[in-house]
Amino acid sequence: MSEVRFTLDGVEVAADDGETILMAARRAGVRIPHLCYADGMRPDGNCRACVVEIDGERVLAPSCCREPADGMVVRADSDRARRAQRMVLELLLCDAPAEAYRRDSELGLWARELEVDGARFPPRQQPLPDYSHPAIAVRLDACIQCTRCVRACREVQGNDVIGYAGRSAEARIVFDAELPMGESTCVACGECVQACPTGALMPAGLEVEDTPPVAAASQGKWYGPHRSELRPGTDGARDAAP
Amino acid sequence: MGRRNRAAGLPVMLRPVPKGRPTDASALADVRAALGVAPRRRDLLIEHLHAVQDAVGYLTSDHLNALAEEMGLTPAEVYEVATFYHHFDIVRDGDAPPPPLTVRVCDSIACEMAGAADLLAALRDGLGAGVRVVPAPCIGRCAGAPAALVGARAVDRASVEAVRGLVESGAVDAEVPSYAGFRPYRDFGGYDVLRACVEGERPYEDVHAVIQASGLRGLGGAGFPSARKWTFVRAEPAPRYVALNADEGEPGTFKDRYCMEADPHRVLEGLLIAAWAVEAESVWIYLRDEYPACREILTRELDALRADPPCALPEIHLRRGAGAYICGEETSLIESLEGKRGEPRLRPPYPAQVGLFGRPTLVHNVETVYWIPEILRRGADWFASEGRRGRSGMRYFSVSGRVKEPGVYLAPAGVSARELIDEYAGGMADGHDFYAFLPGGASGGILPASLGDEPLDFDVLAEHGSFIGSAAIVILSDADTAAAAAVNLLRFFRHESCGKCTPCRVGTAKATGLMAERPRKWDTGLLDELAETMADASICGLGQAAANPIRSVLRFFPEEVER
Repeated sequence: MSEVRFTLDGVEVAADDGETILMAARRAGVRIPHLCYADGMRPDGNCRACVVEIDGERVLAPSCCREPADGMVVRADSDRARRAQRMVLELLLCDAPAEAYRRDSELGLWARELEVDGARFPPRQQPLPDYSHPAIAVRLDACIQCTRCVRACREVQGNDVIGYAGRSAEARIVFDAELPMGESTCVACGECVQACPTGALMPAGLEVEDTPPVAAASQGKWYGPHRSELRPGTDGARDAAP
Repeated sequence: MGRRNRAAGLPVMLRPVPKGRPTDASALADVRAALGVAPRRRDLLIEHLHAVQDAVGYLTSDHLNALAEEMGLTPAEVYEVATFYHHFDIVRDGDAPPPPLTVRVCDSIACEMAGAADLLAALRDGLGAGVRVVPAPCIGRCAGAPAALVGARAVDRASVEAVRGLVESGAVDAEVPSYAGFRPYRDFGGYDVLRACVEGERPYEDVHAVIQASGLRGLGGAGFPSARKWTFVRAEPAPRYVALNADEGEPGTFKDRYCMEADPHRVLEGLLIAAWAVEAESVWIYLRDEYPACREILTRELDALRADPPCALPEIHLRRGAGAYICGEETSLIESLEGKRGEPRLRPPYPAQVGLFGRPTLVHNVETVYWIPEILRRGADWFASEGRRGRSGMRYFSVSGRVKEPGVYLAPAGVSARELIDEYAGGMADGHDFYAFLPGGASGGILPASLGDEPLDFDVLAEHGSFIGSAAIVILSDADTAAAAAVNLLRFFRHESCGKCTPCRVGTAKATGLMAERPRKWDTGLLDELAETMADASICGLGQAAANPIRSVLRFFPEEVER
């Protein structure tokens, strides 16, 4: 397997052929926020929290989708890249419920780490919760439109019950042709719950997801933050939710 | 699940009530009748949604479900596509179906300046229950502002009386203007260049060299050198495809409509020459749904061309958009041609490498191909020798706003805004003083009249944080403000954002909210920060350009918003 050498935040990093900047950064211990990316799933590059500055390119690039080239100079920690990463988190946070549904919400985790709050923009009008499903609580006010649940349902499980409907700020997660989840063809496999980074989809009956992510990560499939991304002090996320 | 279980030979009902929505027999009959013998391929989903809506008048949940069943898709796949496109009227259970006739009143920049808001309000009051009146983003008739579509019938300088007259007389089909048809085009030497290319009289290298020397660039707005695009696509393995971007939707732009309505065969010949140049197997034309007259013309003329082909032709497919500006972005256009939501793809890979159905694809704008036959007939110099202020070439400028004679004008590259007003558009409208202008529709920013003598062309406006794009020049006067124009443009982008990436989806919504909250005293610091991230971190050109109007106001017109 050939190897690519590039510079990340001033340090030379090796990436395997086909590896993305984000994956190489993780191995090198460079932390880049990301939300729509999850291990084991096709990267989609839609949340833009992981954008980095690449020398010679006009705009920032999503590190979850971009493969480095030999000699590429990449900055995840430049002022420009950080401003964009923070703004993306802020835009999502200002539309999130005041208190996160999961203490280990990935949005909250990254927002705390980059010291972002969501107070400067007026919040969106929030959708109503959907408790029609016996096993899954749907609270799309916490949805960040990352489509991890869509990919989990369509591409991982092949069920194709969840879709991304509408357009612009009205774009939303739907079940079949926008049925209540409990009336849809959902087979309750739970893949979408595992995939959701914010608790917009959660096991029914739990007000707050209390499983520490590190423990969960050691038990079978886990789409949440990679172990290396959970720092002492933030991993249990026992501090106040954003 | 019912369908899938049947396919697997498993019992259909494992529980007393099947999960999901059962297929309605009469809706399925409607769908089958509307689709006829058309193939049930996934890439035809948008065509099929049109077919059902044209037959039924709207799309109920039962029809969407039945269409999914008929096409072997899941309800989620059909629903997410149908709800993406604004021209599909989805009637959910318990909702009333829309009235049989829809009047779309354009509320984009030129029409708003000409009183679209009043017109919209008056029509809503004055047309009665059988008609639905809705605002619509730019319908490409800015020279006739305020403009409207009554059904498929376009109305320039629309008034309540004119619209009511059409509604009452039932004249709501597309009005096809007079144009050069196949016979006259052929009689005057049309398709001779294509024939010479295809039959080997003009080798590719020579044709490529002429287009390269002419300096022809992508006139949809990106300005990529056309000859270089050919080189890239041709270097990729076959089969290769060509897509014609006829999704003109940039507010203020109506020159592609002009090309298609005046000389459709010149567009088709240019397209077919480009297809020959990259040795493409098939060609797709993606036409916006707001141009029903163009659809009629292209349908007719493609039939005439196929009936008497001047040489061997590739497969040509005419596809109909469904009300989505974003589909003018080339990767969104490709997604839409595949029957999906028109969301942009991440680049790399570029369409020249991985495009339509995963194949190398050449995407050209209508006006770009319109120039190809003429350049090859008259030579590169004929085209390149035009130009002012050291610029080279020529193109169609769509001029609208506060001028006496708005319209499409052929002018040399490097012409100035002031020259377009005075030499071409008959001067400023009476009682109006030149105040500001949009050099490139909604995306290109807003410039003050003090820059009215700058050359208008690719690249040169970058120092002003601006670009010419599709050359949609909208002239503002002392009756307008740049801030109000920016609000209109941001509203447009908010409406047209595809919803895929955060900076554009949320950014356009927050920006419009902030601007409307305090129209004369913006939170300039926060808007500036937001604008930077939208420009830097959005996936495609829509989001990257959406904040340009804000940045222009902050840079050139700060006094308007810091009162």
